[in-house]
Amino acid sequence: MDLISNLALGFSTAASPANLAFCLIGVLLGTLIGVLPGIGATATIAMLLPITFQLEPVSSLIMLAGIYYGAQYGGSTTAILINMPGESSSAVTAIDGYQMARKGRAGAALSIAALGSFFAGTVSTFLVAIFALPLTAIALKFGAAEYFSLMVVGLVSSIALAHGSIVKALAMVALGLLLGLVGTDIYTGTPRFTLGIREYADGLNFVAVAVGVFGIAEILRNLEGEKNRTVLMAKVSGLWPTKEDFKRMAAPVLRGTAIGSALGILPGGGAILAAFASYTVEKRVSDHPEEFGHGAIAGVAGPESANNAGAQTSFIPLLTLGIPANPVMALMVGAMIIQGIVPGPNVATEQPTLFWGIIASMWIGNLMLVVLNLPLIGLWVKLLTVPYYVLFPIIMAFCSIGVYSVNSNVYDLYAVALFGLGGYLLVKLRCEPAPLLLGFVLGPLLEENLRRAMILSRGDPTTFVTRPISAILLAIALAVLVVVFLPSVKKKREEVFQEED
Amino acid sequence: MKILKALFGASAVLAAGLLATSALGQTYPERTITMVVPFSAGGPTDTVTRLVAEAMSKDLGQQIVVENVGGAGGTLGAGRVASADADGYTLLLHHIGMATSATLYRKLAYDTLGAFEYVGLVTDVPMTIVARKDLEPTDLKGLIEYMKGNKDTVTVANAGIGAASHLCGMMLMSALQTQFTTVPYKGTGPAMTDLLGGQVDVMCDQTTNTTKQIQGGTIKAYAVTSPARLGNLPDVPTAEEGGLPGFQVGIWHGIYAPKGTPAEVTERLSKSLQLALKDPNVVARFAELGTAPSSDADATPAGLKAKLESEIARWKPVIEAAGQYAD
Amino acid sequence: MKNLQFDSTNAICGLTFIALGGFFIYQCLSLELGTALRMGPGYFPLALATILTFLGVVVLGQSTRVQGEPIGPIAVRGMLFILPAPVFFGLTVRGLGFVPSLFFAALIAAFASSRMKPGMAVVLAAAITLFSVVVFSYALGLPFVRFGPWTRL
Repeated sequence: MDLISNLALGFSTAASPANLAFCLIGVLLGTLIGVLPGIGATATIAMLLPITFQLEPVSSLIMLAGIYYGAQYGGSTTAILINMPGESSSAVTAIDGYQMARKGRAGAALSIAALGSFFAGTVSTFLVAIFALPLTAIALKFGAAEYFSLMVVGLVSSIALAHGSIVKALAMVALGLLLGLVGTDIYTGTPRFTLGIREYADGLNFVAVAVGVFGIAEILRNLEGEKNRTVLMAKVSGLWPTKEDFKRMAAPVLRGTAIGSALGILPGGGAILAAFASYTVEKRVSDHPEEFGHGAIAGVAGPESANNAGAQTSFIPLLTLGIPANPVMALMVGAMIIQGIVPGPNVATEQPTLFWGIIASMWIGNLMLVVLNLPLIGLWVKLLTVPYYVLFPIIMAFCSIGVYSVNSNVYDLYAVALFGLGGYLLVKLRCEPAPLLLGFVLGPLLEENLRRAMILSRGDPTTFVTRPISAILLAIALAVLVVVFLPSVKKKREEVFQEED
Repeated sequence: MKILKALFGASAVLAAGLLATSALGQTYPERTITMVVPFSAGGPTDTVTRLVAEAMSKDLGQQIVVENVGGAGGTLGAGRVASADADGYTLLLHHIGMATSATLYRKLAYDTLGAFEYVGLVTDVPMTIVARKDLEPTDLKGLIEYMKGNKDTVTVANAGIGAASHLCGMMLMSALQTQFTTVPYKGTGPAMTDLLGGQVDVMCDQTTNTTKQIQGGTIKAYAVTSPARLGNLPDVPTAEEGGLPGFQVGIWHGIYAPKGTPAEVTERLSKSLQLALKDPNVVARFAELGTAPSSDADATPAGLKAKLESEIARWKPVIEAAGQYAD
Repeated sequence: MKNLQFDSTNAICGLTFIALGGFFIYQCLSLELGTALRMGPGYFPLALATILTFLGVVVLGQSTRVQGEPIGPIAVRGMLFILPAPVFFGLTVRGLGFVPSLFFAALIAAFASSRMKPGMAVVLAAAITLFSVVVFSYALGLPFVRFGPWTRL
């Protein structure tokens, strides 16, 4: 069959000694830069992009793709170890991964993340190879109404991110959505909430917000009353997951892979929902939902798999349509053009070596990462023994560089300080940062697609229920809402009855 | 005595000044040059910049590093360069937005015509008028009739205010004397996705973004906005041929330096630019993007100055008629 | 007053939400609202800000019913040294240049902990700067000026 010969072509391209070497360099560089706190995949690729310009087209793209997964692995490592997400996807990993680390299970969390990602990467690579073209057709069916409904599903899911008060979580989502709207309104060009600062015309920088509300807030929390407390981390117990852990991660990894693969193909920002959606699902189906937020294995395994699967399948719109699904893919387009390949619908037929070579290299890159990272886990965990007062000046320095390197915008650095303060305040007020971050990511997408859907339907709001995919998505959102609220209602009633007894 | 002393002093200053400028002209460049792109890495302008910067580095014997200072439609990066030292070590590569932002933004941090010296025009990327592939009309005349006949239902996509597709869309409305429903997107990617998926009807965008889609048959092309047909899209007529006389829109790119940069330096850079535009790699890559390098006459300070001035004058009424501003 | 159960954390939290919601509502007033069918730039944010304010009221209301944990110690010293670090870097990176700016930013951050000794802080800041310059400036070639115009006297 075609597929076999295509894959053979791909593997023979990707497995040439030179390309293997570039793939290795890519994943290595990506991991090393991505692991620096506050520097996620986008910043890493932006920094490393020029390095690839001197290479052959196939080698350069293989290396870039390697940098991309490498940076994602690296980013998850920092999220788990020091609660410093560099991307929206690793923000979810940070929730339970960091708690596992604090309980002395950093090694287990890191290996679960690595193994889950590898499995998801393998499965989704083959999905890309087999279904790239038919899946593209589905992705094109998604218009503004469908995206809006999808984002509603994402919003509803955010309730599951809350561990404490649901009201506060909702308020955090609303605040996040509002912060996401800061910047120029694309429909009218009106600047909103920028306080007249033109540097914020394109919105607040995600890394600045994420590093502020997660990382800096955490640093400050660790600094309060440091005279009384000495040990923040429990002793590291066991570098590897136990048999029990493996049993508990299997199902979440499978579900995460499915969710990530499905959402990753949507070019309008579906992949960013993958990790959040997986977390929601895991929390719902878990027998121990109370563990979530306190170091649940499923809370690391599911989102990490989803995020890696989404990362792989987000290559589909790029390779089959020539359309970048996210900022990282946009950078890849730039790299392809400089290499003399203008991405478009014909890449697969015009450049089969390139197309299949990249797909094959995805799998090879993932394999390399897992082989590289498992032995490195011991080293990463040792980092936790570095005294905290030594660690945080380092963190602050890298954050500053990472945030500044994206757009050379000093106002992004001021935003880091502002959101650090705000994030710390919110932690003190027992509010959680994850729903805020989800809102921040979804805000612009939600509003943009809502207004676009209304324009395209010429002001007919029934467009959301008359378009079948949109209607199905809204039904899912409704179902999630019912499922989320029913058990808690039931539980409350049970409590009442017990008191009466 | 006093007069003599003053004269002597003045001439010494003059001589020193002359010496300094000519010395600068001869030894320039002595260190790394920064070329600011006012857009994010990976975009079409970034790509053009990196190709040209690499080729210019070879001739200048000093590395040109590309710095992405994105934001606010390119005005942040331009503002950065406007206030940089005028020593020739900070340059700006900007596209047509340099001219249109003068009108699109009512409060700019710099004076577009007063804050820069000119190095030269780099390239002029043509645009294409494209539509979803199942749209009925078969030629530009048909499209115009169709659009005018269905002006309440036809949707025109663009990639956000100030984007090439937004400018071209405004020009199209102004040429057809008709208002259409415009659908803005955040960037070209999502706009193109919806065009491929048939969610919107028409768009006018750079060949950089559309050529491969047209060749792949995923969208329908009605016209190119260049004076002559394009080598890699030989079947697509020009707007002129198709019935829109004078409809020429191009996304031209130019290199600027801060006001006060010595003429020797801008001349030197201009020479280097002309050489870079003949570099086989640059020519080949530009051709794949559906564009051609500027001629030696255009890649000069005078060429760029003339282009900027005429473009500001040309776009001002179009933007004001649309009544949409970016601040 | 003592009989009244009162959760000060939630009270402050509720007031914060109300204040933030109020700020966004105030900002929305200068934006065009449009209609539900043809939304202006202010429509969606105004709805969100109203929801935020309402949730703030709910949180405030809840705070009078239950007693919660106190707010706990505040990392004053941490805030005084951590938060200015990126701001200092932002203010000076183009004037002083990457090397001195990063050195001082790391130095400032280092003093956030009362355990940090001055000598140690200088060594640490120097090490961070050296590493970053080698990796980011030389190896990756990021376009940062190493020593800016303020250092060229």
